Amino acid sequence: MPGSSRTRNFFEPLERSEVAAMWRERFGIPESAFDGYRFYRKAQSVWVVSDVDLPGLSYEALGMRMMDLKGRVWKPTTCALQVFGRLASRNMVHLDDDQARAFLAGGTQEIESATEPGYAVVFYRGEVLGCGLYSRGRLISQIPKEMRSAGCQEGDET
Amino acid sequence: MDWLERYRRIVPDFEDFKAAQQRRLLPSARINLLKTERSRAMEHLEEEGAKARPFEWYPLGLQLDSERAGKLRANLLGYIHIQEELSMVPPLVLDPKPGERVLDLCASPGSKTTQISQMMGNRGLVVANEPSLSRIAPLRSNCERLGALNVAITRYDGRRFPRGPFDKVLVDAPCSSEGRARRDPKVLSRCSPKRSLDLQRLQIGLLKNALRLARAGGLVVYSTCTYAPEENEMVVESALNEARLERISIPGLRESPGITEWDGSDLSEELSCTARYYPHMNDTGGFFVARLIKN
Ligand SMILES: C[S@@+](CC[C@H](N)C(=O)[O-])C[C@H]1O[C@@H](n2cnc3c(N)ncnc32)[C@H](O)[C@@H]1O
Repeated sequence: MPGSSRTRNFFEPLERSEVAAMWRERFGIPESAFDGYRFYRKAQSVWVVSDVDLPGLSYEALGMRMMDLKGRVWKPTTCALQVFGRLASRNMVHLDDDQARAFLAGGTQEIESATEPGYAVVFYRGEVLGCGLYSRGRLISQIPKEMRSAGCQEGDET
Repeated sequence: MDWLERYRRIVPDFEDFKAAQQRRLLPSARINLLKTERSRAMEHLEEEGAKARPFEWYPLGLQLDSERAGKLRANLLGYIHIQEELSMVPPLVLDPKPGERVLDLCASPGSKTTQISQMMGNRGLVVANEPSLSRIAPLRSNCERLGALNVAITRYDGRRFPRGPFDKVLVDAPCSSEGRARRDPKVLSRCSPKRSLDLQRLQIGLLKNALRLARAGGLVVYSTCTYAPEENEMVVESALNEARLERISIPGLRESPGITEWDGSDLSEELSCTARYYPHMNDTGGFFVARLIKN
């Protein structure tokens, strides 16, 4: 799927097995973790939504954006790792207190880990914090700006 | 003249109501069971020194004694969501069940959408509609942060949302927001009878379409965060030939019945089934909620 040149601008259904195979290969997550969900592709993103029939409407978003296919390798979103990453068995990085704080602030830090280069599930005390990019002993936080502990706006109005 | 004076005749203990406007309101939040357990969320809050006190009427709601509630780790990780206390009432009145098909017609930033999704355990469908392009991003990011995976977002004008049927529809309408004055006193300076009547036209359009989109016997909840009868009872009254009202009562929360007279005119007696929430009665903001069953 990555690298294919499909860029159609509507939500196109994807096979669960096709998505699950990618998550199994990179993170060792079992296919059963994705039971009860449906998957769609729109432009260079994969979306995951609860398994339910969708009425014929024009949609802006379905469930959650789960993967980004733009790059050379696909990238999991932080939110999707928080939901599905707990079952990972490879390419995980475990942080201590200070490292977790730096990671949530969006920082880059030196970390020793046996992780293969590329995207990793970042854990702190058994909970998934999000997505990190691991390369040459450095962990680069991929936490989206609006979720960082620095520079996040005060809550909602209602 | 002070705008809130127009409510002297309808608000019980009006002087207390006035005094409550000046009192500071602590931030509040809702525990998000789609991402974590209650105990885990509480642990995170405690570790960060944020004092959290559950509401008596709703154990998932918390009053937070924290200056930086939005930056708490528990919030960033989606274990809690910063949400006004009374904003948690309309979803409870809507009472969505797993597997149902629900429409949230005026959804951004998604505080109620995500509460509804949580009540459904991510099963069934919530269509979250929001016409304003700039308000789609916060709606999306809240749904994603909170792990609300049974939500699909649309961008129609709610008056022209094309098709149903839905088991339940929430109309959390745009309004003059007087009930937010304890957070932001400036809201009152924008209020005027003309503004309320302009909003009323939009609100009636939204409620009418919501009733069209609900299945026969389906439920429509109409809510606002204003005291203005023009935007509350008078909107609901326009829909009474298509629906009947059910009385609202949330154990542990004190409401005041909807009014049946305003500005010298009589309104339908049935409107006393709707609920008005005032700041001085529960130490909150202000809200109005109506529960309609479509004929
Ligand atoms: C009170 S806010 C909704 C708050 C939201 N329900 C929540 O709990 O987070 C009202 C929303 O209605 C939207 N709105 C304005 N005009 C609308 C219309 N014609 N149809 C649907 N929604 C509209 C506004 O952009 C605003 O986001």
